[in-house]
Amino acid sequence: MESSELHDLSDDADYAASQQQGSASMMRCDSEKRSSSSDHDGAELIYLKDNVAIHPTQFASERISGRLKLTKQDSLLFLSWTPYKGQTSNAKLSEKDRSLYTITAVPFTEVRSIRRHTPALGWQYVIVVLSSGLAFPPLYFYNGGVREFLAIVKQHVFLARSAEDANVFIVNDFQSPLQRTLSSLELPSTLPVASGQSIYPLDGGSSSENQGRTSAGVDNRVSSVSRYGLRKQKSHDPARDLSIHLLEKFSLVTKFARETTTQLFSENNGLGSVDKRWNNQPVHSYPEKLSNIAEEKYHESPHSYPVNEHDEEIPNIVDVPADPLEFNKLSLVWGKPRQSPMGSKEFTAFLDYEGRVVESKALRERVFYGGIEHQLRKEVWPFLLGYHAYDSTYAEREYLRSVKQMEYATLKQQWQSISPEQAKRFTKYRERKGLIDKDVVRTDRAFEYYEGDDNLNVNSMRDILLTYSFYNFDLGYCQGMSDYLSPILFVMEDESEAFWCFVALMERLGPNFNRDQNGMHTQLFALSKLVELLDSPLHNYFKQNDCLNYFFCFRWILIQFKREFEYEKTMQLWEVLWTQYLTEHLHLYVCAAILKRYRSKIMGEQMDFDTLLKFINELSGQIDLDSTIRDAEALCICAGENGAASIPPGTPPSLPLDEGILYPQDDDVL
Amino acid sequence: MATAGNKNINAKLVLLGDVGAGKSSLVLRFVKDQFVEFQESTIGAAFFSQTLAVNEATVKLEIWDTAGQERYHSLAPMYYRGAAAAIIVFDITNQASFERAKKWVQELQAQGNPNMVMALAGNKADLLDARKVSAEEAETYAQENSLFFMETSAKTATNVKDIFYEIAKRLPRVQPAENPTGMVLPNGPGATAASASCCA
Repeated sequence: MESSELHDLSDDADYAASQQQGSASMMRCDSEKRSSSSDHDGAELIYLKDNVAIHPTQFASERISGRLKLTKQDSLLFLSWTPYKGQTSNAKLSEKDRSLYTITAVPFTEVRSIRRHTPALGWQYVIVVLSSGLAFPPLYFYNGGVREFLAIVKQHVFLARSAEDANVFIVNDFQSPLQRTLSSLELPSTLPVASGQSIYPLDGGSSSENQGRTSAGVDNRVSSVSRYGLRKQKSHDPARDLSIHLLEKFSLVTKFARETTTQLFSENNGLGSVDKRWNNQPVHSYPEKLSNIAEEKYHESPHSYPVNEHDEEIPNIVDVPADPLEFNKLSLVWGKPRQSPMGSKEFTAFLDYEGRVVESKALRERVFYGGIEHQLRKEVWPFLLGYHAYDSTYAEREYLRSVKQMEYATLKQQWQSISPEQAKRFTKYRERKGLIDKDVVRTDRAFEYYEGDDNLNVNSMRDILLTYSFYNFDLGYCQGMSDYLSPILFVMEDESEAFWCFVALMERLGPNFNRDQNGMHTQLFALSKLVELLDSPLHNYFKQNDCLNYFFCFRWILIQFKREFEYEKTMQLWEVLWTQYLTEHLHLYVCAAILKRYRSKIMGEQMDFDTLLKFINELSGQIDLDSTIRDAEALCICAGENGAASIPPGTPPSLPLDEGILYPQDDDVL
Repeated sequence: MATAGNKNINAKLVLLGDVGAGKSSLVLRFVKDQFVEFQESTIGAAFFSQTLAVNEATVKLEIWDTAGQERYHSLAPMYYRGAAAAIIVFDITNQASFERAKKWVQELQAQGNPNMVMALAGNKADLLDARKVSAEEAETYAQENSLFFMETSAKTATNVKDIFYEIAKRLPRVQPAENPTGMVLPNGPGATAASASCCA
């Protein structure tokens, strides 16, 4: 909602016309100058670059183009990026998606570093990393000019090239060498920010811990942002910020109120006391003034949900710590009992006489609620993974199998034909092969299918991974891939079929293994937004304890819980996730469900990052799958469109297919 | 002995090194006295803790075992942040893993806790026939860089306990791990309160 206040000219007719014709940046630069000097209360435009785009997905075709600006106000430099209206390459990217990515005037005092990527081939881009540890998605300079951009930044703020990586430019100076490393490496504590929304809470009521950490004036920042003119009214008063933030929350809650029975909410009265011991913690995190307000409000109306979410009295802070209980309660009501796995006979009923899946949604629903009997997986997984089209016939699939078998043999031949003499001169190949050799012999070797010396299945796994690293040479091999392949090969029992299923899976999950970790960062970021939505006390707890990067969930997401469940359970979970029945991102709701289940322990024992990571790792083998899936389903339904909106478009494992179905586009926003 | 509380130390130790050098195997041998021929790769990081008695004191090592692949390098600072000690592991049958170990040493020297106790472990010492890195070479490097060096074998348990004990012995009596300046405080009552509070 903030982004609607943005000043941009992209809906200007002149602008749109010039945009159609390609670049005419001088002209637009002038018009922008005029507008910025009048609109931004004297903020000086330093730099403007058109055709700077964000790719919400790994698909180059999906991009959001926009305008990058540097402005200066009271000697502070600000960066902003505004997407053009109606200029998206893909109609599926809605207005909401674009506003999710809008970068609203970020002061450089908040920027930790800028990483540039200027490949000889392909688009140049920069990644802007904030001192909070968050990062914006890469900004692609379609007309080039990264160097110029950096040169201009350098004229206004202190910019030092990182000692570790010549492509990283550190903004200002850092207190400790460690922080310098953290910022200059690929940023462990980094999350991509789909701006607007996430910058916003940082400005909001809970900035106290920011002050502790960055010392250099959060106040200063807030006030300068407000002087800058964007979010004018909101930024002065942290309490007001918070109230607007809460407004979003309450709109969610009131939505539940409509969708569920009122009885669920009346239960809250009794439950409030159960959770009271937690109420203090989040409240203490707010600035003192706020917690006072909170306490007053608490005594006034401990459990009143505003009837009208636009009501002024909304900053009812103590209700926020209490709200997860509603979700807990709801989950008991909403998560459907698991059914028994789908058998062969039942599956056949989904097919027409030529073998087409008549109603793919019904099939996916069936698998979502019960999974698949093991012998049948071989037939159904290729559909779920996207290797087979639902509307393909038996004959077409059989034909595809033989074609793909030949294609696989050709790909495999590429590395098989490398002689020892050639290998000597092919370091990259040797390194990859070495890495794969090391990993396949230690992937699921205790599992019957892969156990024992000279196991042929282990060899197949090696061959598939090596072939894949040629098929997708850019991505190569990365640890974790063998975890994905192992069950697939076990299910498919055929090297070529397993390879193509793996290829299909990597189309979605390849970004997990990207060198820049962007796919992981996006998912961890989306998870943080979901937890914020579904359990704000827990979110605040993570925030206070510097756990907001959610790296303790890294393994869960990287290999979709492969190491958390026993083999059979992992396959059950995967086929549920792969149905994409309720959402493409059920795995993130699964993360949220597990975290919520252990929230009392996490907060009660005051776990810091280390303890939390240890705790999470040790949950391996302890998590009950069925109830977790039910909770995740409930959370997903509860979160509804607010949940979907928390996940930036293109967050893995998104594919451009079926997006209309998977993101219910409901304009009935509260 | 009545003031045993003063002699309890908590110390964070991180293992770094190339893929398949045997980081997880060393920890597993040390903590559980187990060895798995095909120890699965580490995703993200793993955490273990083990308490040792060293010179009348109890040292609780909180051990962080990390992923080796270069692509996950960026996660490492999260784990060596605040570490009081590090074991940099290489595989004596693999020259590249030794080169990688040197890189880790450099990084820790530049970015780690200045008082960090660093050990260099030449693992897989049971595979003498396949040796590619001589003990002399590693020893020389270690001396030049003020590390202590041991050849270990997680498989046969050779020197595994020893290297962890040696680290525990060398730890400053009062842990500066949480203190970014790395200052060593004088040993005295109360000084260890913060670090010892969790010890049994």
